[in-house]
Order: sequence, then C-alpha cells, then structure tokens
Amino acid sequence: MIDFLQNTLDGLALGASYALLALGFTLIFGVLRRANLAYGPAIMFGCYCATWAYLKTGLGLLALALIAMVGSMLAGVYVERLCFAPHRKGAAAAAMVASFALWMQFEELATLALPRHLYAFPALYEGGPLSLGRLGLRIESLVMLVAAILVGTALWGILYRSRFGTAVRAVIDSPAAAELSGINVSAVSLRVFALASAIGGLTGFLIVSGNEQVTPMLGMWSTLKGMLAMMLGGLGSLPGAIAGGVALGLIEAHSQWYLGPQLRDFIAYLLLFILLAFRPPWMNTRSAY
Amino acid sequence: MRLTLLIFLFISAPVLAQRTEADLKCNYSGKDFIYDCIIRLSRGGEPLSGAQVSVGADMPSMPMAHNLKPVKARPGKKPGEYAARLDLEMPGEWTLKLRLAGPVRDLLIVHYNFTESGTAPRK
Amino acid sequence: MDEYAIGVLTNIGLFSFVALSAWLLLVAGELSFGQQAFFGVGAYAAGICTTMLGWPLPLAALAAMALGAAAAALVGLPTLRLRGLYFAMATLAAAEMLRILFELFHWQIALGDDRIGPDGTQGFRGIRWMFERGIEPLDFLAIVWILLVGVVVIFLRIENSRLGATVRALGHDPELARSAGIDVDRLKLGVVAAGGALAALGGALFAHHNTYIEPRNFDIMLGVHSLAYGLIGGLGTVFGPLLGVALDIGVLEATRSLQGYRMIVFGGLVAVLLVFRPRGLLDERAVHWIKSRL
Repeated sequence: MIDFLQNTLDGLALGASYALLALGFTLIFGVLRRANLAYGPAIMFGCYCATWAYLKTGLGLLALALIAMVGSMLAGVYVERLCFAPHRKGAAAAAMVASFALWMQFEELATLALPRHLYAFPALYEGGPLSLGRLGLRIESLVMLVAAILVGTALWGILYRSRFGTAVRAVIDSPAAAELSGINVSAVSLRVFALASAIGGLTGFLIVSGNEQVTPMLGMWSTLKGMLAMMLGGLGSLPGAIAGGVALGLIEAHSQWYLGPQLRDFIAYLLLFILLAFRPPWMNTRSAY
Repeated sequence: MRLTLLIFLFISAPVLAQRTEADLKCNYSGKDFIYDCIIRLSRGGEPLSGAQVSVGADMPSMPMAHNLKPVKARPGKKPGEYAARLDLEMPGEWTLKLRLAGPVRDLLIVHYNFTESGTAPRK
Repeated sequence: MDEYAIGVLTNIGLFSFVALSAWLLLVAGELSFGQQAFFGVGAYAAGICTTMLGWPLPLAALAAMALGAAAAALVGLPTLRLRGLYFAMATLAAAEMLRILFELFHWQIALGDDRIGPDGTQGFRGIRWMFERGIEPLDFLAIVWILLVGVVVIFLRIENSRLGATVRALGHDPELARSAGIDVDRLKLGVVAAGGALAALGGALFAHHNTYIEPRNFDIMLGVHSLAYGLIGGLGTVFGPLLGVALDIGVLEATRSLQGYRMIVFGGLVAVLLVFRPRGLLDERAVHWIKSRL
C-alpha cells in the first residue's frame, strides 16, 4: 500500500513536468495545427545555454533559469520564422520536416559547444526529501508541482483575461475566421511560440536542475513526452494537456514499479495506440494536421 | 557472367565459416578526441597477420550523425597487431567496424566506450 | 572503385528502401513516423532466416517482406480511419512498441561452440551469410541496386496506370476519392502494407551488409530521417526519395571538411529548401516541367 502511494506521489511529480511540456506543445499545436518537432530541442538549446553560462561564470540558479528561458525563446522564435511562418497555409508535412531539420541543427550545436555526453548541472535543492509520514517527496518534485500549478493558472489568466488571450483562443477556434475579424494571425503565432518556448525553457531548467545533469538526449525526450501527454489528454485542449501529462506520469511511475523501465514505455505507447484506434468521446476529434 | 556466378553463390553452401576475433586497446592522445589504437586479430587462437584492416566508426546513439571516415590500419610490431589513429568527434560509446581484406575478407563489429582516459569494451 | 565509395553507395541504396516506403505513404496522403519499425522487422526476420534457419538470402528476403507487410497491416488496420497527426502519432507509438519488443526479444541457439541469435539490447550479431559465401562488397552493391531499380520500375509502371492515379487521388483528397467510388480503406491498407514490405526488404539487406543489428538502429531518428528523405527529394516522382537519400548521405560524406558542422549546414539548407519547395525538389510541378521538356 505504501509503495502504491509513494509511486502515486512520484507519478504526480513526474506528471507535473510532463504536463508543463504538454502545455507548451499544445499551445503551438492548438494555434498552428502543426506538431513542432523542434520543441524539445529548443528547450535543450536553452538549457545548454544555461549550462555553458554556468561553466564559464558560475551564475546562480535564478540567472540560469532566466538564461534557459530566454535561450529557449530565441530558439523557438527561430523555429517559428523558418519552419512555420512560411507554411501557414497548407504544406503541413513541409513544416514538420523543416522543424526536424532544425532539431538536427540544435543537437549538433549543443554537442559542438559541449561535447561530452553528460554535464553536471547545479542542483535545485541540496537537501534530502521531505518526509510525509512514511512517504518521501523530493523538494525538486514539489517545486515542479507548484510550477505546474502556477504556470497553468497564469496561462489560464492570459487566455481568458487578456486581449492577447482572446486573440489566441480565436485563432485556435478558427484561423480563417480570426483573420477575417482583423486578428494578425502571424503575430499571434509568433507570440504564442515565444510563450510556449518560455514555458518549455522553465520546465527544462527545472528538469535538469532536479536531475543535476543535462544531456543532448533531453531534446528528443521532451518533444516525445510533450507529444505523448498532449495526445493522451485529447489533442489540442489545454486542460487536456495537463490531464494527459499527469496521467502519463502516473502510468509511468506505476508501470515502472511493477513491470520495469522497458515495459513502462511500452505501456504508455500501447495506451496511446489504443486510444487513437478507438477514439473515446473525450479525445478531441478536431482536425489535426 | 558475374551475374550467373552470383546466382550460384546464392544457392551454394557456406564456404568461409571460420570466424576472426578482434581486441582493441586505445590510448587517448590528449588532443580532442584522437585515440591511438592497437588492434589484435586472431583466428582460432592464432594471430592473424597480413590482413588489410580499415577501421570505421559510428555512434549507436546517433546513427550516421557522427560516423568516422574509414582509416587504414598499419601493421603493428607483433604478428596479428595493427595500429590505427582514430579522430573521433566526441567521446562516448562507439561501434567500430573493422573491415578485413587480403587473405581473409570479413567485417567485425566491436563496441567500445571511449573516455578521456582510454577505452573499455562495452561488452 | 575504392571500398569507401562502395560503402557510401550501398548505404544510399539501403536507406532508399525505407525512404521509398515513407514516400509512398506521403503520396497516399499520410505522414508516418514509423517506417523504421518495418525496416527493423525485415532486418531481424532475414537475419534469423539465414543465420538460425539456414535459409538462402533470397528466400529470407521474401519472408522478411511478407512479415513486414503483415506487421504494417497489423498497425494499419486499427488506424484506418485516422488522419493527419493522429495517424502519425499512432505509427510512432506502434514503431516504438516494436522497438521495445526487439529489446525484449531473446532467442539464441548454439552453433559450434558459440551462441547466435537476437539477444535483446545486446543486438543480433554474426549475420554472416554474405561473408560465408565470399560475396564481395561490389557484388552486394549490385544486388542492392538491381533490386532498387526493380522497385523503381514497378513504381514507374504503377505511376502511369489507373492504380497510380487512384493513390494520388487518395493523397489529394480522400473524401473526394471516396465519393468517386474508390474503396479508400482497402487502398490505404494496401499502401500501408506495401510500404511495410518495401521497408522490410531494405532492412533484410541492411542486416546482411552490417552483419550486426541492434534495436537502437531502428529508433525514431531513422523514422524521421526517412520521412525527411521522402519529402525533400520530392513527392512528384519515385526518384524523389532516392534523391533525398543521395543528398543527405552524399552531403554528409562530401562535407567531412566541415567536420562537426554538417548537420547545421544541412539542416539549414533543408529548412530553406522547404520554404520554397514544400513538396520537395522534384515536386509535381517540377516533374511536369521536366516531362514537358523531354
């Protein structure tokens, strides 16, 4: 019983990071109807900027977090301008393949600047886990959970309480109608990309400082988890992204405990495949291309 | 003509079934990321000399992204030994392809971890 | 021709198979992130047939193609009604599941005083059918390219036939195709299975060229790469994916002087190219232009 609770707690923490990744991924997907394969790599780029800064100057955590976010945002804007802005009307495959090409660029840049496979990253918290009775909760996980709640709330505030948010929701609903009502869809896309990348950068920072290490594999991993969580929660809806992220985290934590790491991934993919094949009603059936 | 020979080869029985073994020892030269390697080849326990060895490398974690252009190994001091200098793009786990020509034609695949201090076999 | 050049040309040939399989699905209107799994199925199947069952390579290749088609159909059947990114994600999930299955697959038999066979994450070593028969690299290159040319000829025939037009119609607008009386579901399943068989053939040859395969060879990177090849070369003609592979591997080899900057250069070129040619270099317009000049 205690194992189950501990795994659930761990799963929630993991799920918080997945939810954050999914939020960023879904923002881009909702507005552009395209999957951004360079999403994770842009995050990795930001984290590598932070790592590089840390190695050269030994800056503090807050500065590193900012660098990660800004780095990711710059990378995200670069991706948007080169891969998604030119292909706004149609040619979805071209946009996604272009984002893959940029993914390759980011990975090579990262290994050029910092060639080793693994780099130490300053720890978010240099202490032991919190004890809740017989359960343990790492402070890093708590921070991730809090961050997820804060970001989710902030995002909700932006989307439902600001002009920009209204424009974003209009574009999500129907880009054509939004354009006709005078919204600059191109500008909205760019800003959404920047916002999503900033969220991604923050998430990446929390992940690498929680793990105290950064590797180039972070790129593909983040994209994959973000996409998986988004899909599990129902494509294109933000509450769905959070739900999908948390669900993925819980599924992974429990599967790993009972079945080991390989089957853990297998179960997640199997679940996704089954959901896609049988499309339960809560899965967003909006056209996704 | 070659084609008919080829077709015959398809239905023929195995002819060269004996296997070659390879062992690798590399030293980090100090320069990024160049390793001086000694390869020892043997067949059925006996060292194999006189082979033309060319060494190629690829990183299993990122296939085709970092592969090394094949270098020819020079015969080493002892029989069955060959020396090669590998200029890798980064340290880590590499899959080395040893192509043998000459008396024996073969392709050997070995996995090694290349670190700052030297090499260690993965398996 | 020196052995290095032979190696490069062989790799271009081998990866052309999986690029063709991704291209085929693109032409039929679907994005697939999963063709690498069928490449892997073909590789393992052929390796097992020649190394552990003692079959000759041609028979093993046929078995590999059949298994590849079957696996693809198994993935394609539940996902028939999925479109766009849903279908792409489903193929990704299926491909990763297959790759994990390869990681868990252990089947070894004793041969002499050695054990051979797939050994999970340690891979499948000793696929030495080619070396045991003294087949030279140049001969193998010829085999790969003869088969590839055969496939291309078949595709060219189909392109100019009713079937070709039907598949392109499906790719263009499935609803319209359906209303014109085309059995969209059966056609899509057929295309998916054909793609699987094609990738599997490439995999079978790949396994014998490399003599060693491991699950990591068949991961998402290969899948996204083959999709890229299929698109960059151009969707207008079967030569498109071949061009895509040749460009990537060719550029990769030619820019060795740009040691370490290859992907940055190539990635940038690809993204820029796609801005101007979203359907690849040899897209339908280019092909039309070329044909009108011939």
